[in-house]
Amino acid sequence: MERVDILLEPVRAFLAQVGAFLPRLALAVAVLLAGWLVARMVRFAVVKGLRAINFNVLTERAGTDGFLQQGGIRSDTTDIFGALVYWLVILAALVIAFNSLGLTYITDLLGKVVLFLPRLIIALLILVFGAYFARFVGNAAAAYCRHVGVQDAELIGKLAQYAILAFVVLIALEEADVGGAIVRHSFLIILAGVVLALALAFGLGGQRWAADLLERWWPKHRKDDRK
Amino acid sequence: MNVRLGEEQMLESSPEGEAARPPDPLWYKDAIIYQLHVKAFYDSNGDGIGDFRGLTEKLDYIKDLGVNTIWLLPFYPSPLRDDGYDISDYHGIHPDYGTRADFRQFVREAHRRGLKIVTELVINHTSDRHPWFQAARQAPPNSRKRNYYVWNDTDQKWLETRIIFTDTEKSNWTWDPVAKAYYWHRFFSHQPDLNFNNPHVVRTVIRVMRYWFDQGVDGMRLDAIPYLCERDGTTNENLPETHAVLKTMRAALDKQYRDRFFLAEANQWPEDVAEYFGTGDECHMAFHFPLMPRIYMAIAQEDRHPVVDIMQQTPDIPETCQWAIFLRNHDELTLEMVTSRERDYMYQMYAVDARARINLGIRRRLAPLMQNDPDRIKLMNSLLLSMPGSPIIYYGDEIGMGDNIYLGDRNGVRTPMQWSPDRNAGFSKSDPQGLYLPPIMDSIYGYEAVNVEAQTRDLSSLLNWMKRVLAVRRTSKAFGRGRISFLRAGNRKILAYVREYGEEAVLCVANLARAAQPVELDLARFRGRVPVEMLGRAAFPPVGELPYLLTLPAYGFYWFRLAVDAEVPRWHEERLIREDLPILVLFDGWNSLFRDRVVPWRIAMAERVRTQFERDVLPSYFEPQRWYSAKGETPKRVRLVDHALWNVGAQSWMIALFDVEGAAEQVSYFLPLALVWEDADDERKRVLAPATIARVRQQAQVGVLADAFADEAFCRALVQAVGAGKDVATASGSLHFTATGAFSQIAGDGIGALPVRRHQAHSSNSVVTLGSRLFLKVYRQLRPGTSVELEIGRYLTEVARFPHCVPVAGALEYTGSNGVALTLALLQGYVENQGDGWAYSVGYLERFLDQRRAASDPVPIDAHGAYLAITRTLGTRTAELHLALARSSGNPAFDPEPVTAQDIAAWKKRAHEEATQTLKLLERGSDRLPSPAREEAQGLLAQQQHLLSRIDALALPTGKALKIRCHGDYHLAQVLIAQNDFRIIDFEGEPSRPLAERRQKQSPLRDVAGMLRSFNYARWTALASAAHAPDDLARLAPLAEVWEAEVRRAFLESYDAAVSASNAGLYSSLAEMRPLIELFELEKALYELRYEVGSRPAWVRVPLQGIQALIGTSRSG
Repeated sequence: MERVDILLEPVRAFLAQVGAFLPRLALAVAVLLAGWLVARMVRFAVVKGLRAINFNVLTERAGTDGFLQQGGIRSDTTDIFGALVYWLVILAALVIAFNSLGLTYITDLLGKVVLFLPRLIIALLILVFGAYFARFVGNAAAAYCRHVGVQDAELIGKLAQYAILAFVVLIALEEADVGGAIVRHSFLIILAGVVLALALAFGLGGQRWAADLLERWWPKHRKDDRK
Repeated sequence: MNVRLGEEQMLESSPEGEAARPPDPLWYKDAIIYQLHVKAFYDSNGDGIGDFRGLTEKLDYIKDLGVNTIWLLPFYPSPLRDDGYDISDYHGIHPDYGTRADFRQFVREAHRRGLKIVTELVINHTSDRHPWFQAARQAPPNSRKRNYYVWNDTDQKWLETRIIFTDTEKSNWTWDPVAKAYYWHRFFSHQPDLNFNNPHVVRTVIRVMRYWFDQGVDGMRLDAIPYLCERDGTTNENLPETHAVLKTMRAALDKQYRDRFFLAEANQWPEDVAEYFGTGDECHMAFHFPLMPRIYMAIAQEDRHPVVDIMQQTPDIPETCQWAIFLRNHDELTLEMVTSRERDYMYQMYAVDARARINLGIRRRLAPLMQNDPDRIKLMNSLLLSMPGSPIIYYGDEIGMGDNIYLGDRNGVRTPMQWSPDRNAGFSKSDPQGLYLPPIMDSIYGYEAVNVEAQTRDLSSLLNWMKRVLAVRRTSKAFGRGRISFLRAGNRKILAYVREYGEEAVLCVANLARAAQPVELDLARFRGRVPVEMLGRAAFPPVGELPYLLTLPAYGFYWFRLAVDAEVPRWHEERLIREDLPILVLFDGWNSLFRDRVVPWRIAMAERVRTQFERDVLPSYFEPQRWYSAKGETPKRVRLVDHALWNVGAQSWMIALFDVEGAAEQVSYFLPLALVWEDADDERKRVLAPATIARVRQQAQVGVLADAFADEAFCRALVQAVGAGKDVATASGSLHFTATGAFSQIAGDGIGALPVRRHQAHSSNSVVTLGSRLFLKVYRQLRPGTSVELEIGRYLTEVARFPHCVPVAGALEYTGSNGVALTLALLQGYVENQGDGWAYSVGYLERFLDQRRAASDPVPIDAHGAYLAITRTLGTRTAELHLALARSSGNPAFDPEPVTAQDIAAWKKRAHEEATQTLKLLERGSDRLPSPAREEAQGLLAQQQHLLSRIDALALPTGKALKIRCHGDYHLAQVLIAQNDFRIIDFEGEPSRPLAERRQKQSPLRDVAGMLRSFNYARWTALASAAHAPDDLARLAPLAEVWEAEVRRAFLESYDAAVSASNAGLYSSLAEMRPLIELFELEKALYELRYEVGSRPAWVRVPLQGIQALIGTSRSG
């Protein structure tokens, strides 16, 4: 009997553990199920809500929808927001579930992802509004230039738009904290390159003009002329 | 609907209505006076002098001319040394002219014809043969009898008083050897002036006045009225004493008589003449002497100034008073009331021959003064008849009689009336040398060239023109009673003025120059009114924002009624954007109208724009549109129910469907929209102007929102889309452009280059044509279901290939979210045509009646030959249409079916029900009907049982007959005339019936009956516009009736001939079908009656009489 007891002890302990674990598992599964349901509801609500306030019109005007479509994605930006919120809730549910199971390592890992998602959402919002703003400024600049009769009005408009867009992307990346340093550095390098290229272009192209100007301001041969 | 009438006009039928009306005490304000001399008018007894019996014989001529008052020059016993103005017995009739019995007979006959009579009361002076003067010269000085006249011992008194007859008299005093004193006379020395300072004289004169009023005279002209009284230290004219005498006489008149009047002859300046009106307590009327020479002057100088100037100097007169105006009279054309420079000018222009001058004037008639130029004579008359006052026409001037300046005094304008080219101008049977004066006999004005008989027969004669223009003048009280205001046009050769009386306004424009002239008139006050030219009754384009441009031929004139009720001409297009259009702020193009298509922070703004668009902009645009069904009521809200943004190339339109909120009937409207911005496309914006719905603004940019059917690019794109068979998705449905097999053949190549024209269309459609190839008909009012016209049109084009309808090229249809189809537009081939059968028929009959109005020869037997020939073609084409529709093609919607007894019973039942319903409607509405129609309506209501039993008792056809798809709303306006043949159009059916009913198969005789009713309408319409005067109606009505009967017969015969020749079995014999035609005609007339009671009570008589005729004794026809 003793042996049997000794033999049964681990089994009992195991069963006791299982007995203790099963409710927690059941709870976790319940949490997950509930989370999934809530996530769907929240996604539905968010997408509806955003569409009700014409957020889709905004993203369409900002060009993000078009950008996505060019990339072969069928859903528009509003759907992406819906998806992000959906995953946010799912992940939150997972964190709770794993937490209840005591899997703290996974919880920590997921916690980081959960914390990242809101920043991603905000970064995306910045991108949308920024892109709209960039397009608005670009259009306004183009319209103004057209009105005052500047040639290449469209080009100037586009330049303005893309310049702003570049900054918007940077801010969004900053917010998302993705590859911050490398993007910053490469942006600075590109900007420097552009400035250098422009300097060279203007310097070489405008050499004679600059020389004439200098000549006018500080004539070299003034004394010689007097002779 | 069977009716498309131009000018709406009351059908009045009582020609002798004037006598029945209660007397209007102000009748003289509407008077048109015909001035004549008894001796000069017509001689009945062959003594060479005209007389009262002769005049009585010619009363019909005067009545027929269109005047309503006769003014007789003095006819009293007289030595005739001043043409009767020297009276020797105030109570008698000159024996040459007849007896008192003759005079009384004349008065009776004139009054029977509604003519009033004005005679002369010459009281300033008498003849020196008058018993009063004879007694006075015998009586001792200062006795009562002596003081009937004005005496003095010397002729050096009152020297400052002017002498009027400067050519014959040297002094106003003449020595009388019997009385041994000088007597006072302002005119000839044989005309001593009565002494009105003597109260006995005033009393005696009032007795004379009463005597003639008691004889039935309606008015008295007071001759030489300013000279009645005399006083030291004055010019002896217009004295207060004179006015006191007049007031006494007026008081005596008012005490005893109503609707009689005094007409003052006072050749004075307007401000002096105005005093003879007193405060409405002296004379009722007075001559406006200064106006007359200035009318002549204005034409001579080709400048409006003289007329405008004198009318401005004319003071306002009391409400009950009236001016009498004239061009010529029995005296010389007096130039007393002009400056001496003007007089010289007038002499130079009008009396180069010194013999034509007498005293201070010109002794000529109107026609010679105008050098017999008919245009100038008509212009002068038009001015006379449209200036404020009651016009006076001098006898003979209505035919353009001449004068004889070789006769003494003013006898040159007092020659016998020229009745005919017979002996003595038809005036007298006496020997020519026995005439009181020789008639005019020269080659231009002589009685062989100018006479009543010839001019009566000549439709274009001055006499017939005078009759027409007088009839027109009688149609508006504004001429007699209205205010006058002159329009200062830039062109001084144009005299333009508006006569206004209450709501009525008549615009008169006259060209005083001998060359054509343009003029731009500022009619801003009458914006939106439609000028209707009164002589021809043609409507001109409405008064708009710009000055009104008119061009007038040499000496031309127009009278326009500025109508508020007349329809704008069909072809008129408004080309300016209305300044008062609302502004819609479209901050984001088309998106601004949709809350779900703008950025989040502009949602509220989009909602506001949409509300403004639907509540303000569209309702005010819908309300005046012809295609909007609820006339006269602005919709509360017009809701955009479905739309598609349609982009073709760089252009974008919104194809939109609208619902009207709160409308009684559930109807959708089709209104595609175009948005055009300024700068970008000014030309397009200009073209769109008439169809502009709202002005729009987006930031600094402005533009217009318009009906896209005014946009050529849209119409072309639509046609091209039909050709390509495109589909376009809308927000909740889809649009289908479909073509028939005939499309490529009809449209051909190069649609993009075809000129696009928008047409004014009727009722519920709009029409656009592309070149002379395509005809795009846009349905504005949409009812569920495919349009019957498209269905039948497709069948006739593709299956039956019927050549006499318009081929269908394609259509634009819409399918809603509920799967219900709507037809939005129909594309057809364009048919060159000369207008529709309605305009043609009414125009034809009007012309015919116009000719007959003045003609005296009998109607030729084959008068309507050419018209009947074309009617026969119509009958044949109608039959061919029915035969095409009766063909079996395997399509159950079209295959003919036999008429069963149940069908006929159902038709009868329907007619019965509609009759009951119509009579109920008539009963409710009969109070609002104008007079003769109301009695007729009562008559029909009384015959209700007869009508219903008549319907029930109609004999049923027993032979075989077919029912087929029909035209459904067949009448004259539904057939186009092209090359003396017909094209049948518009297969929509009666728009007020539900679609299912319109798609039912019917007896083709329904169409036949519709056309027969249409002939009846044409008859009444033409009659209404051809009959100017009530008595015309009595003359012309039988002619119109005969026309209708002949046309009916020709139509039915040719229809029957074509049907019988085919063996299609539409019916076995027409004779047997007669009761059915009668039933359908009755049903159609009931339908018309319902429409007229609701919409045009003035026209109710047409269907009423139609029904009466149908239920009365059976008609031949």
